[in-house]
Amino acid sequence: MVKVLGWLAALGVAAGLIVGFGVAPREVTQGNVQRIMYLHVPAVWVAYLSFIVGFVASVAYLARRREGADRLAHAACEVGTVFLGVNIATGAIWGKPTWGTWWTWDARLTSVAVVFVMFLAYLLLRQAVEDRERGARYAAVLGIVAALNIPLVHFSVYWWRTLHQPPSLIKPGSSAMSPVILVALLVNFAALALLGAYFVARRTRVLAAEAEALA
Amino acid sequence: MPDNWGFVLAAYGLAAFVFLGYWRWLIRKEHDLRALRSDRAMRSHSPSRTAHPRPEPGSRAPLP
Repeated sequence: MVKVLGWLAALGVAAGLIVGFGVAPREVTQGNVQRIMYLHVPAVWVAYLSFIVGFVASVAYLARRREGADRLAHAACEVGTVFLGVNIATGAIWGKPTWGTWWTWDARLTSVAVVFVMFLAYLLLRQAVEDRERGARYAAVLGIVAALNIPLVHFSVYWWRTLHQPPSLIKPGSSAMSPVILVALLVNFAALALLGAYFVARRTRVLAAEAEALA
Repeated sequence: MPDNWGFVLAAYGLAAFVFLGYWRWLIRKEHDLRALRSDRAMRSHSPSRTAHPRPEPGSRAPLP
């Protein structure tokens, strides 16, 4: 199952690159640098999805104390942090030629950086607490609190005046995006979602093996 | 606006580096755990080399 997911992710990433570079047109105002969007935006969506999975699994762990739920929360939050790191880094690379700066302390960038640091703290907490049960409990609480910040990140562009543009897709009303660009974005999202699911499945398996080895 | 292909390459290259690095880290961790498990299995099945070998019941002499 995990292997099949891995092959699907590899095929998806190949399809995403073909669509993003071969099918989607050159953007009129930004030029080809806009193609970073096919990586930057899906990466944050996959990070959001992973953190939502982590949130649900953390709540389930606190309610039932099942180790499987804790392992899923750990894996999902770790993978979400990897994707969020990619999102922040590619955003900085895209920001330099288009905004003239790698980084600015506007509401969107600052709020996403806060969430990233919170999830880094989540991963450090997992390593820091020796008692596994206690560490899992603390991490579940931190994972829930950190995931609750995601709406703040998403709506920050509406609530404050920011350099970052408002969402083009996840918003009320229809999108003004060209259909070809929209399809390229969605294909890349599907590809990265498959990659994220593959990483979560594999990481969960590793965590289960680790627990077995420690028992 | 110029195309800035260097920035596009940097973004995709960095993402590839991170994703491949994470994938390789997972594979290495799985490999280490598998090696540890097989090592443990071998130790539990092989006779102890540190303890004294126990003689067959028929050859044991009663304690004085």
